[in-house]
Amino acid sequence: MRNYLLKQKTFLLALALIFCATLVANAQSRTVTGTVMDPILGESVPGATVLIKGTTRGTSTDLDGKFSLDLQPNDQVLVISFVGYIVQEVEIGNQTEITINLEEDIQSLEEAVVIGYGSQDKKELTSAVISVKPEDFNKGNISNPAQLLQGKVAGLSVTRPGGNPNGGFNVRLRGLSTFGANSSPLIVLDGVIGANLDNVDPNDIQSIDVLKDGSAAAIYGARGSSGVILITTTKKGSKQGRADVSINAFGTMNQATNLIPILSADEFVARGGTDFGSDTDWRQELIDDAYSYTTNASVSGGFENTNYMASVNYRDNQGIVNGVSNKRLNTRINLSQGAFNNKLRFNVNLSFTNVDYENINDAAFRYATLYNPTAPVFENTPAANERFGGYFQRDLFDFYNPVALANQQKFNGTNKSSLTSYRAEYDILTNLTISAQYSEDRNNNLSGDFWSRQDFQVGLGAGGSAQRRTFDRSQKIFETTLRYELDVSDKLNMTLLGGAATQKSFSQGFNARVRQYLFDLGWNNLGAGAIRLGNNTDVASFANEDQLNSLFGRANFNWDNKIFFSASVRAETYSGFGENNQTGVFPGLSVGADFTQLFDMGVFSTFKPRASFGITGNLPPSPTLALGAYGNGNRIDLDGDPLTQNDVFVGIVQNSNPNKDLKWETKQEINFGVDFGMWNNKVTGAIDYYVRNISDLLFNVPVATGAPNPFDPGRFNTASSTWVNLADLRAAGFEFAVNANNIKLGPLSWSPGMNFTIYDKTTIESLSAGELGFDELRFATPGSPGQNNNPIIYNRVGQTLGDFYGPKLLGYTEDGQYILSTDDPNEYEKLGNGLPKGEFGLANNFGWGGWNLSFFFRGAWGYDLYNSYRGFYENADGASNTWNSVVTDKTPTSPLVTSTPTFNSSYLENGSFIRLDNLELGYKFNTPGSNLNSFRVYFAAQNLFTITDYTGIDPEIRLTDAENGNGFTTSLSPGIERRNTYFQTRSFTLGVTANFK
Amino acid sequence: MVPALLLLGSCWELDQEVLDGVTPQDVANSTNPQLINVLKASAYSRIVGGWGAHNGIWAIHEVASDEMAIPQKGADWEDGGLWLRIHRHTWGPSEEAFNNSWNYCFTAVGEINNLIISFPDVELLVAELKVLRALPYLWLIDAFGNVPIITETSTGGNPTNNTRKEVFAFIESSILDNIDLLEKKDSKTTMNYYTAKAMLAKLYINAEVYTGTPRWADAEAAANEVINSGVYSLSFNFFSNFSTRNGGSTENILTLPYDQNNAGGFNLAQMTLHYLSQNTFNLQEQPWNGYASLEEFYNKFDDNDVRKASFLVGPQFAADGTRLNDISAEPGDPDGQPLTFTPKINELSPNAFRQAGARVAKYEYATGAGSSLSNDYVLIRLADIILIKAEAAFRQGKNSEALAALNQVRTRASLPALASISADDIYNERGFEFFAEGIRRSDQIRFGKFNQPWWEKGASQPFRGLFPIPLQQINANPNLTQNPGY
Repeated sequence: MRNYLLKQKTFLLALALIFCATLVANAQSRTVTGTVMDPILGESVPGATVLIKGTTRGTSTDLDGKFSLDLQPNDQVLVISFVGYIVQEVEIGNQTEITINLEEDIQSLEEAVVIGYGSQDKKELTSAVISVKPEDFNKGNISNPAQLLQGKVAGLSVTRPGGNPNGGFNVRLRGLSTFGANSSPLIVLDGVIGANLDNVDPNDIQSIDVLKDGSAAAIYGARGSSGVILITTTKKGSKQGRADVSINAFGTMNQATNLIPILSADEFVARGGTDFGSDTDWRQELIDDAYSYTTNASVSGGFENTNYMASVNYRDNQGIVNGVSNKRLNTRINLSQGAFNNKLRFNVNLSFTNVDYENINDAAFRYATLYNPTAPVFENTPAANERFGGYFQRDLFDFYNPVALANQQKFNGTNKSSLTSYRAEYDILTNLTISAQYSEDRNNNLSGDFWSRQDFQVGLGAGGSAQRRTFDRSQKIFETTLRYELDVSDKLNMTLLGGAATQKSFSQGFNARVRQYLFDLGWNNLGAGAIRLGNNTDVASFANEDQLNSLFGRANFNWDNKIFFSASVRAETYSGFGENNQTGVFPGLSVGADFTQLFDMGVFSTFKPRASFGITGNLPPSPTLALGAYGNGNRIDLDGDPLTQNDVFVGIVQNSNPNKDLKWETKQEINFGVDFGMWNNKVTGAIDYYVRNISDLLFNVPVATGAPNPFDPGRFNTASSTWVNLADLRAAGFEFAVNANNIKLGPLSWSPGMNFTIYDKTTIESLSAGELGFDELRFATPGSPGQNNNPIIYNRVGQTLGDFYGPKLLGYTEDGQYILSTDDPNEYEKLGNGLPKGEFGLANNFGWGGWNLSFFFRGAWGYDLYNSYRGFYENADGASNTWNSVVTDKTPTSPLVTSTPTFNSSYLENGSFIRLDNLELGYKFNTPGSNLNSFRVYFAAQNLFTITDYTGIDPEIRLTDAENGNGFTTSLSPGIERRNTYFQTRSFTLGVTANFK
Repeated sequence: MVPALLLLGSCWELDQEVLDGVTPQDVANSTNPQLINVLKASAYSRIVGGWGAHNGIWAIHEVASDEMAIPQKGADWEDGGLWLRIHRHTWGPSEEAFNNSWNYCFTAVGEINNLIISFPDVELLVAELKVLRALPYLWLIDAFGNVPIITETSTGGNPTNNTRKEVFAFIESSILDNIDLLEKKDSKTTMNYYTAKAMLAKLYINAEVYTGTPRWADAEAAANEVINSGVYSLSFNFFSNFSTRNGGSTENILTLPYDQNNAGGFNLAQMTLHYLSQNTFNLQEQPWNGYASLEEFYNKFDDNDVRKASFLVGPQFAADGTRLNDISAEPGDPDGQPLTFTPKINELSPNAFRQAGARVAKYEYATGAGSSLSNDYVLIRLADIILIKAEAAFRQGKNSEALAALNQVRTRASLPALASISADDIYNERGFEFFAEGIRRSDQIRFGKFNQPWWEKGASQPFRGLFPIPLQQINANPNLTQNPGY
């Protein structure tokens, strides 16, 4: 790398020489020379600015940190500055050669908080914003940026039940604030709104800032309701003129953990199970310890007005089941260049990611737990060989050999994404800056599904089947801002920001599925599938686009560093709004005062109460909902004669009812908080209380089918539900976070931190709007077998969202039959709720010389989980001769339950847990002077143990339920652990980090 | 910022494009000569929809009657007790199947109304659509009774209930006002003059139930017009009406043109067959082992009645002739593991034997069929109209005409002609003839049998003769009032 830079260095040196020569030509008097040093690194600092105080004369240091300045008679003081260091003044006196030691400005680096369209000093913040830096991130094998924050921010829920490396994380800020629209926070990646998290590797992140309250998020208008997470990638090399190379490599072993106890083969037979004569541990057959590895390499540096960072990150994550993997290659280049004395700045951020993934049918996890333990994996009979590829299979209801299922179906694909953004800033005046940014976020997915001819579940009946899909999405944003800073008076400083943006999204997709193959060629040759029409086949494509226009402004006032005030507004119009509601306006206001600047606050070094109010919105989940376009109906042969084909058409049917009034959701949020610091900010923290009222929720609600459509006068409802704005929700919460920084205990330094949230769970205040209204909405049935028609979650007006309803189990009869409180669904009682009362995180970091040890506990309390395994497979009923049974600590054994499994209170369990989420022990070798700057070896473990009373797979909070409904109502049925949940995993990581210079 | 403002200034408010569908505007602007025909067919496709699927209108008619049950096999088919409640006439207003049935009918009504207002001047089209609209109302009046009448002229938001009498008058006038514009020809999947007459016959025969006032003569007249048209005749082979390629049946008057590739939704094989029956018919998917007939209903059939083959009973074999063996058969099942469909069902709940119960085999299950069948579902056929004539004549005391009509249907089924006729003769004959055709519940109500006890069901109150207005609909439309008794 150094070689590569040599040419540039030479070039710069030449420039510097020319510059110096010019100065020399003007020399009239004596000269001072010197060297600027970083005493901690023991190195010179090239590129530092050396100015003569009170003048504009000066120079910058050369590659060796040296400078030379011609002095005039009145020159007395040098001012030396460089980014990241405290500005230093040096008396010249009679010296002709000066060595200046710069001190790193840790404070200024840490306290800048990104707030959207700029950053603010932490002390000026008046809304609830949390900034998380890399040293506080979660440790271990982490490939998703959201996981870095898991448990770290009060009010931020990050969950992924089970350990599937392809599984996404559910992210929720301050609980649920919508159910029809997007409930995940808006991601803003280096200023690009709505960017895909795939575009950033955790290793390249410099900071993550979470805008928690409504006033902070209001600058993001109609997309801010679920909160905003701002991710900033590493921008610049740490020192000018030098290339820093960092290489981080680790290997991880994953193993399945917390498998639910089941009957052994003997116990199964003793309970009446069908005996096939073998003894198979199906889960051992399915799973295996998995080894993953990751390499990150980056090079960064800078000189003059140029900064660059380039990185490559490769992650190969293997699942604990053969056939599950995720291989990810991410490349990033961040480049910034200044011109015209750095008045014009140009930034380019480029990121490219390729992910190859493999998945299996998750039902294999269920069958591995339940499949008959006396069945062999293979049986060597001609019929089995011919039909099932030698696997043991039997014609029973819902009964598939899990090993065959995992091997004879494949769901693989490739994601390619790129995020390119270009930004130019120009200082019109020193305090007036105009900027323009253009970005393109592109995402392409190509995937394939495959069912072997010998796959008993689907392939055998279909004669083998395969599908190919592709999905393509792009989002282009053009955004300009104007920023003006003004010292109105000695004490009052004002910053004004104005901007305009336009965003266009486009998505399209195509898929084709065929069946009946002679050979298992799968998606590589769809043409070899003989049947392309009907069951298990498909041909489809789609496309849609939308546009969003925005205008926004913000004013920040700072009165003497004592009182701070901020006001913002964003107006947005979206093509997907109905024609009667085109523009939404989203204001935010916040104020705070640092009492330590006003009063004597004793041990408090910071005490800043603040209050804020903001309105944010949420967009409809699809842009064409207001229109009610016609979709495809049946294929129609007008004359009914299959031999004439020019009269065959696909009919059109209106499958959704248009709503010309459709608009944004509105959330109003009030936040009261205090930021505090004690003992010279050795201990810092924040306390927040918020109340949010959400109205005009976007939701697909049942309407009077066939009746005149009130939202499209003159036409009739042809679908049983319409997307409307209705309902009111109320939620509140209390958040507390405190951190101690570097408490010295002799040679040991200790940085503990903790945070917790107590939720005042979301209450449904109404489910109505205008003529439409409901008392309750029922969701989520446990599923097949036998529980297809009994919803277990009733969302009732006046109650908390996501309440479980069902019969109470009063006891068992002598022969093990349920005694239930009622069997009338309308008399069911409230049995629990799947959303947590609170969540917490507890961090500890210890340092001792080169050693560091950190461990992090995380947990949640006050919620229920429906344990589906118990809910279907713990009873000794007729079904237990086919399926194995689970035997948890909560399974009644005397007597065994003989009833047909039916949802009741006994299957709801307290999910509260505390987990040693991650732990890291590392040692750093400092090797100053050589090219290898530092070298660190570390060991990390994730999910080491969990303390919980829950007897299912994973007590993790279930914010959504993927098996429920149409994808838009998944938030309305929290707290259900489905049977196909990927097993929990525990992982151990060994890694090294080397930094070169 | 300035360029962006200029950019926005010209187009701040945005229009949404639809790239993969068409808007009502596109439809209005289309000049494709086939458009109207396709739109009309699309409206019909709503009716094809979910008639033959589980958890819909067919299911509630069948399971509430004495000819079909869904026995609960342990966990399988427990489904929150829904099918037990429907069997035992203890259902409540929030059962999902009622709501599905309601939505099925009214979705078609909405689609038809939208089409009528789009082409108000195309006289023949409007006439056909108005008769077509009467069809879901014929189902609605039978199932729910007091339903809102929604026409192309309805305005405002949420409608209120109409009385069953008003609905009766609406159906009658919809047909009578438009019937003369319909063609007199045999078109089994679209409305024609005879379909309209057949619908009238079915309306009038139930007039007493629907309105309190019998219309026997009108029923007979309407039936006669269909019978005497010469367009239809009883098929010599009873089961040819239900074969996979039953489009050419001379007997079928109105059918739903299901097609496994183009018009799915007829899932009878999945619904009734045993899991292992997949091997008998080489089905693409494993069936669900649900619907079976009641033993006492099965036993009413004469052994010589060809229609007894409407049931699938006895030992079951794979397509290659090997005996099917259900290793998961309940240990207590006296029939053991070799798969045998027995008419006897040990109990309705909770542990009916997996192989218990005679299965529906009236429709042909094509070898290699997918979950959707290609057989056209028969809504109205000539035998129904003949038996309506028999019944209407009998009610008017014209026993000889009634007997002649009845015997016409009986002899086709290889049964000896009867010498005399009673109400029960007609009732029973309809049972043999229309098993699994979604007609039994209406017949039971009309003959006063619906509230009597039968297997695993006690006597029920008369208000059960109407299903409740689905609670989901009352929630969505507070202007609706519930049917009496619920």
